[in-house]
Amino acid sequence: MVRGSAAAGAGALGPPGPPGPPVPPPVPPVPGGRRDKGGGAEPESSRWARCLSSSAGVGGDTIFALSSAPGRCGVAVIRASGPGSRGALQTLTGTPKLPPPRVLALRRIRDPDTAETLDRGLVVWFPGPRSFTGEDCAELHVHGGPAVVSGVLRALGRLPGLRPADPGEFTLRAFRRGKLDLTAAEGLGDLIRAETEAQRRQALRQMEGELGQLYQRWSDTLTQALAHLEAYIDFSEDDNVEEEVLSRVDGAVRALEREIGAHLRDGRRGELLRGGVRAVIAGPPNVGKSSLLNLLCQRPAAIVSPVAGTTRDVVEVALDIGGYPLVLSDTAGLRETTDLVEREGVARARDRLCQADLVLAVLDASAVPPEPAGLGAALGALQAPPGTPCVLVLNKADLLRGDGGPLRHGCAQRPPLPPTTLLSCKTGEGLDRLLELLARELARLCGDPLCGSPSLTQSRHSRHLGGCAAALARFGRERPRDLALAAEQLRLARRELGRITGHVGAEDVLDIIFRDFCVGK
Amino acid sequence: MSCNPSFGGIGKGHLMREVDALDGLCGRVCDRSGVHYKVLNRCKGPAVWGLRAQIDRGLYKENMQKEILNTPLLTVREASVEDLILTEPESGHPGKCQVAGVVLGDGSTVHAGSIVLTTGTFLRGMIHIGLEMHPAGRLGDQPAIGLAQTLEKLGFAVGRLKTGTPPRLAKDTIDFSGLEEHGADNPPVPFSFLSEAVWIKPEDQLPCFLTRTTLKAQQIIYDNLHLNNHVRETTRGPRYCPSLESKVLRFPNRQHQVWLEPEGLESNVIYPQGMSMTLPPELQEQVIKSVPGLEKAKMIQPVILPHWLPLLTFKMPPVTSVLLCVIGYGVQYDFLDPRQLTASLESRLVQRLFLAGQINGTTGYEEAAAQGVIAGINACLRVHGKPPFIVSRTEGYIGVLINDLTTLGTSEPYRMFTSRVEFRMSLRPDNADARLTHRGFEEAGCVSQQRYEQAVRMRAALDDGIATLKSLQFSISKWSQLLPEVSISSSRRSPVSAFDILQYQDVSMEVLAKAVPECLDKLAQWRQLAERLKIEAAYEWCVVNQQQEIEEVRRDEALQLPEDIDYFAIDASLSAEVREKLDSSRPQTIGAVSRIPGITPAAIVNLLRFVKTNHQKTEKLKALPQSGKYLPGKMYSEKATSQRQMSAEFSEEETQSTFVKTPF
Repeated sequence: MVRGSAAAGAGALGPPGPPGPPVPPPVPPVPGGRRDKGGGAEPESSRWARCLSSSAGVGGDTIFALSSAPGRCGVAVIRASGPGSRGALQTLTGTPKLPPPRVLALRRIRDPDTAETLDRGLVVWFPGPRSFTGEDCAELHVHGGPAVVSGVLRALGRLPGLRPADPGEFTLRAFRRGKLDLTAAEGLGDLIRAETEAQRRQALRQMEGELGQLYQRWSDTLTQALAHLEAYIDFSEDDNVEEEVLSRVDGAVRALEREIGAHLRDGRRGELLRGGVRAVIAGPPNVGKSSLLNLLCQRPAAIVSPVAGTTRDVVEVALDIGGYPLVLSDTAGLRETTDLVEREGVARARDRLCQADLVLAVLDASAVPPEPAGLGAALGALQAPPGTPCVLVLNKADLLRGDGGPLRHGCAQRPPLPPTTLLSCKTGEGLDRLLELLARELARLCGDPLCGSPSLTQSRHSRHLGGCAAALARFGRERPRDLALAAEQLRLARRELGRITGHVGAEDVLDIIFRDFCVGK
Repeated sequence: MSCNPSFGGIGKGHLMREVDALDGLCGRVCDRSGVHYKVLNRCKGPAVWGLRAQIDRGLYKENMQKEILNTPLLTVREASVEDLILTEPESGHPGKCQVAGVVLGDGSTVHAGSIVLTTGTFLRGMIHIGLEMHPAGRLGDQPAIGLAQTLEKLGFAVGRLKTGTPPRLAKDTIDFSGLEEHGADNPPVPFSFLSEAVWIKPEDQLPCFLTRTTLKAQQIIYDNLHLNNHVRETTRGPRYCPSLESKVLRFPNRQHQVWLEPEGLESNVIYPQGMSMTLPPELQEQVIKSVPGLEKAKMIQPVILPHWLPLLTFKMPPVTSVLLCVIGYGVQYDFLDPRQLTASLESRLVQRLFLAGQINGTTGYEEAAAQGVIAGINACLRVHGKPPFIVSRTEGYIGVLINDLTTLGTSEPYRMFTSRVEFRMSLRPDNADARLTHRGFEEAGCVSQQRYEQAVRMRAALDDGIATLKSLQFSISKWSQLLPEVSISSSRRSPVSAFDILQYQDVSMEVLAKAVPECLDKLAQWRQLAERLKIEAAYEWCVVNQQQEIEEVRRDEALQLPEDIDYFAIDASLSAEVREKLDSSRPQTIGAVSRIPGITPAAIVNLLRFVKTNHQKTEKLKALPQSGKYLPGKMYSEKATSQRQMSAEFSEEETQSTFVKTPF
């Protein structure tokens, strides 16, 4: 959603809908109401001053951010500031009763949508003006795991009127309210410098990746579309800016809207941390896949038996490994079968395998060829989707003759093999090594929280992309009515995208206009 | 009007409405002098409508002079200004000296409490035609050299810009028969909020004609580049195409538009807009004859007029003399880096000296008028010791223009575009009076009682109208019944107000009044009100959504930075690069700081901290008697001087085309 829209009348923008005549948006509430004020007594100047700002929401929006250092730690502090802090605290603690001001209270913190408990933590309520920023503030002291932190941040981000804070924004608000205590402010600038530096590094890192290139390409497309539309508005009647420019802009915007929409529905890396990495245990029948599941979740979640083909349906458990959320699925052993039920199970297993973010391939250590080439062939027979990260588990290590030297040696021979480990589900030998391998893969998949706060970045990204897509959808609706309003939507869309890829100023737009069109006196 | 015979346009029309809202003259005079009124962008939404008109030069001059000469208490003198009279600076303001008057060409002096300098293209002006160069402000006018030297000696950073003008054609030698005719609007829309209608009958308006250059013109230009000093484009040229040569060089193998614009009702002169060029005269003639319709066209014979330099003392709108310039030429002239000005357009170096127009690096009558009205108001307020009158970026195009100039500077002639304006949805031509007139009346005293009352009346009527429309609510089905011709699609169950319905494209106040005459007839009958209500309804959603952002910008703009801050000396954690940027831009508010490219959030916070500590100290100092004396010459460090070098664009032959500062 566009910044502040929720504050000005919840959901006034609405989701992107089919093009057609505009639905007049609901009238935002008029705080105070001009007419209630007994007109005549009011000085003319203040009446004028408000003529532009009529019916605007008062107080501004509410910002939140992780205030403690990003990464795993014992306790993480999440802070919110603004008029929505009170409601946010009430919603997340699930009770309208606020704790007494400035007193720590133990509360269960729940997801506002699912009512699922995110954590039990300490909350503090600072009613304005006696707070750091001078506004209403709330603090949540939660356990420092990335899953908890991202869960709470995500929950806050879904509340109307709340948005992630920009760097230094808490301080700026404090300053505006005259709350910047100078002794306390010592070092604040440095802190923000460090923060923005970390964000810059993180942004750079992301920008170097495919995702960054994608965002940059979108930003370029959007800026160009906007520049061409602006050229059409500022010049077309005097100069040689042809009508075709408009249809090109329309096409570019529609394509971009579709692409961002698809990306939001798809959302790889960001989704991983939110919903957990989807890992699938796959392998031939009777290699101990269900035993592995049970070992990892420390309870008999799946039925195990020495009979091949015991597991028919997919069994799913949610785990936390090294602080990362993992949704682990046990699947039917992959083999050709005539048993109708088992065949369906195998088909489901294959489906699951295709959707996996991470594959835990399990083979029988006592039945595989020990040299890497043979191991590779056995792994290849599972037909895991190419490109999906994989951890190879050689189970039943306890059955190996001797110390299994050749196989152990083979395990270390990578690449081309994925990270490989010997394991005995029976004795638990090799479990630590497996957990270590898993944590490493998960860290890679989720982004390393020690180097910044990917969850926060991700929620910001999807928030801004969502705002961008919504504005592009509104462009389609405004386009036949009023070109200035349509251009405004592109400006909003670009502003949203600019929050990810960096600011694009009016001069950049003019650069494109003058590069692409022959205009001037 | 010394160049094109037209006023307004997209973005420029906005400026004119704002100048008019502050009781500036150009809008009113244009309503009495135009020969072809046209609203550009009619089909693109009222926020970007561009009011424009072809103006009769003679009438404009006559009407403008009538206005000026009939202004009570105003003395008008015409002379060239050679020098400034300077005295010791007053404490409490930045500046190494203050201006107390001017020295005229004949050696006589005029004393003044403040001065507005509007040199146009005269400051060391150099006219280029082919390979020839003549020192001149306009063709036939002497350039101002003494003044330029004075300004440079004072330490102003000076840059060079260029502009051009096309040859003028004799109307009776043009064959209009094959050309595209463009008629004027009927009814014409006036520029001024005070004008009910323009002076001319709709049917008496003159048409404009459109023709296009051919490849032959391109060939002539290509073949003769060696004869064309002015336009040899370098990479640092302006991004847009001010001359036909630059159009052809940058966008080859195309037709380029040439608008044939009348210069007046009785005039035989046609202004071929788009044909500005600096080729030698005989080649200009060849280019002209290569254009369809102009095969037999003749350039008007030169007439040399006596020189005249505009000098404005306070409270006088910008005036330009009428000049018949007849062959195309380019002019290069000095401008002063506008970052040396405060937002009130007062110079930071010389107290009470205000600069407006092309001297600040802008192009166009409208940009000049916008600065002129602000400089004039502030020159007057300064004399009376009142606080300056500043229009914020959130209040008007004038604010955007002046804020851009004074914080970001410019490297090409600055022209107003609507795309420069962040809050385009709120800053519309229709509501300029609601944005500015009350401020002009209350704070600047520049608005007449009549205009003020009219604006107040309109505002009250708008408020009441919106309230009435909002209170008139029916269900969707009822509305569909009342307005069968409008397809209202909404899934909304709750009643919908007439104001919401008014947003639909096909709905106007007239349509609504037909459906619900008892409530709305009165509103619909007041034509201007009805039109403005419709626009308010269409933009309400956007304006409300922008409000928060506007508030943020306003809050940041309210955080003032001290005028005399020395960014190289202050004890704040700022990098050398940031200090340099701050020093060259000299932002006046935190809002302006945040718009300077490359300034980090951390730098902003550190600056805030510094300013706050500093402010507290100053407050304490002020409480003590005999303290806080201002030390002249302290505020600009030497480092600032040596490091301030900004490359201007033009032409390799002008090696002095960098800002140069010489010691005082």
